[in-house]
Amino acid sequence: MVSKVLVANRGEIACRILRACNEAGLSSVAIYAANDATSMFLELADQAVLLEGETIGETYLDQQQILAIAKATGADAIHPGFGFLSERADFARAVGEAGLQWVGPSPEAIEQMGDKMTARITMRAAGVPVIPGEEIEQEEESEALAAIESASHRVGYPLLLKASSGGGGKGMRAVHSPEDLIESAKGARREAIAAFGDGRVYIERLLTGSKHVEIQVLADRHGRTVHLGERECSVQRRHQKVFEEAPCATMTAELREAMGQAAVAAAEAVSYEGAGTVEFLLAPTGEFFFLEMNTRIQVEHPVTELVTGVDLVREQLRIAAGEPMSCGPLMIRGHAIEVRLYAEDAENNFLPAIGPLAVFRPPEGPGVRLDTGVREGDSVTPNYDPMLAKLIVWAPSRTEALQRMRRALDEFVVLGTTTNIRFLRELCDEPEVVTGHTDTTTIDRLWPDGWSPSVPRSIEDAALMSAAVGESAGLHRTRSAVTGTSSGPVSPFATLHRRFP
Amino acid sequence: MHHQFRSPDGPIEVTVARQGESWYLGSLEATPMSDGRLRILNDDGTVMFAHLVKVGDVWWVHVQGHTFKLERVEPGASDTDDGGGLTAPMPGKVLQVLVDVGQSVSAGTTLMVLEAMKMEHRIVAANDGTVTAVHFGAGDQVEQGVALLALEES
Repeated sequence: MVSKVLVANRGEIACRILRACNEAGLSSVAIYAANDATSMFLELADQAVLLEGETIGETYLDQQQILAIAKATGADAIHPGFGFLSERADFARAVGEAGLQWVGPSPEAIEQMGDKMTARITMRAAGVPVIPGEEIEQEEESEALAAIESASHRVGYPLLLKASSGGGGKGMRAVHSPEDLIESAKGARREAIAAFGDGRVYIERLLTGSKHVEIQVLADRHGRTVHLGERECSVQRRHQKVFEEAPCATMTAELREAMGQAAVAAAEAVSYEGAGTVEFLLAPTGEFFFLEMNTRIQVEHPVTELVTGVDLVREQLRIAAGEPMSCGPLMIRGHAIEVRLYAEDAENNFLPAIGPLAVFRPPEGPGVRLDTGVREGDSVTPNYDPMLAKLIVWAPSRTEALQRMRRALDEFVVLGTTTNIRFLRELCDEPEVVTGHTDTTTIDRLWPDGWSPSVPRSIEDAALMSAAVGESAGLHRTRSAVTGTSSGPVSPFATLHRRFP
Repeated sequence: MHHQFRSPDGPIEVTVARQGESWYLGSLEATPMSDGRLRILNDDGTVMFAHLVKVGDVWWVHVQGHTFKLERVEPGASDTDDGGGLTAPMPGKVLQVLVDVGQSVSAGTTLMVLEAMKMEHRIVAANDGTVTAVHFGAGDQVEQGVALLALEES
């Protein structure tokens, strides 16, 4: 039984979950740090409780404090969202021991998938293809380096060293020739020890030109484990997904079924419960290999929702309450694309930006969905992740979905804080994106020396004119129509000059 | 009316003329709308709508999917004063200030260390010189583009 859900997260995903709770008729509790006191997600909860403390560790990551709030407010379930505590097996275990329902898989499943070497071994045993490579069990440095050296001959070059406790590109090194192996291995171990307190690394063959394709799975306590088709998320910048779509443009029905079955086998191998994602690399040969399983709801879940008609967060809540999932046989209809709007300066090496959201006017109209945790008047601060919103479109075909995304991005107005909107808009015109032949190196190949926008002269002139009229008419003081006081002939000297130093 | 703006390509001077409710530049005609936007008419009859807002000295303008940041230069202001390049490359926090006012430094000396999104950035002297001002201390939040220190070349 679940009747009151504490959402242990903030921002956009907290809004998504709290809305699902409202729709399901469940009471909800939001928790927030002092610097989130005016954030939108608080308004979507029945009650909101302040977390004591300054840092993220003292607030959104403070397990004891969150459990105490759950107890004090009478919550009977905790939804962790993504990030923060969502993949912390110790927290999932503590939630269960406190007599609360964890909205997610068991702590054992989180542990088995969280340690990447264990996950590889479990997947191989379940018959799921893994990237050719070897686990290195040795922990002591000289023994580990010797084992890595010996394994490198069997795996072949180029190869990838990855931290077993890794994620987000930390403790990861691509090695293109044997001379660099030992230095890279030392570096990967050093980084892994610093970030995760665990220096174990494993070796994988580096599969270039591959697509990142992931399968959404759902599993309930009534013996059903299903897949909901794939999402393609190849367009990434430094392992950060930027542009996600469903279905994958080059997918076939046979391959979808094979990958779906592999994903279901992966989930069943760890007695999975709830929503999860099994990530694969899809090589140009059509072979696919298990990368990792994310034991939580994912940022890009809306594209699957739009093409399958399944409300994944509602299903999570239903499954956590012990009910059977409600979705029927898999049906994929049309095409969905999501882009991630970041407060960042795409022209300046994507440096994070902060500032006020003086104007924040999202697009509207058919087939457009916006998942965000901000609204006009908020400020973007350096305290949290700079993702402002996810813009998702649905259309009957991939071509129309791209056209709709271009239209929606052109309508999206954010002023006062630099965003990547224009970068995303121009990405939609790139031939690789248009044909669907993207891979994980697309952004690096398209813009090796950084990105800059192409701006038509006429638009730039209109912008300069706007600023000059704004200044002249005092629009920043009134923000309303100017009253005409003087009139006369149009000056022949109304001009525009540029000086280039 | 005449205004000067700083753009990434250098300074731009713009002169707009007014007649009645409308403003003119070349073949463009702009009319303020009641919600603060501008309706811009091209001489071919097509129309554009501009959203605009001023934050500090910067006009933020959105026209047809493009966003512009145009810093207004006050009449008479020097447009060469960029703080000797010692400006914050990104918003963040000052971690360390390594120099004092009056101190002589050589080119390449690290003057300040910033942190933003878990990355450290060193602010380095481009030339030999003397520190004439330190605008922030350790722990201060800084916005992108603000002058952090001033250095007089020697």
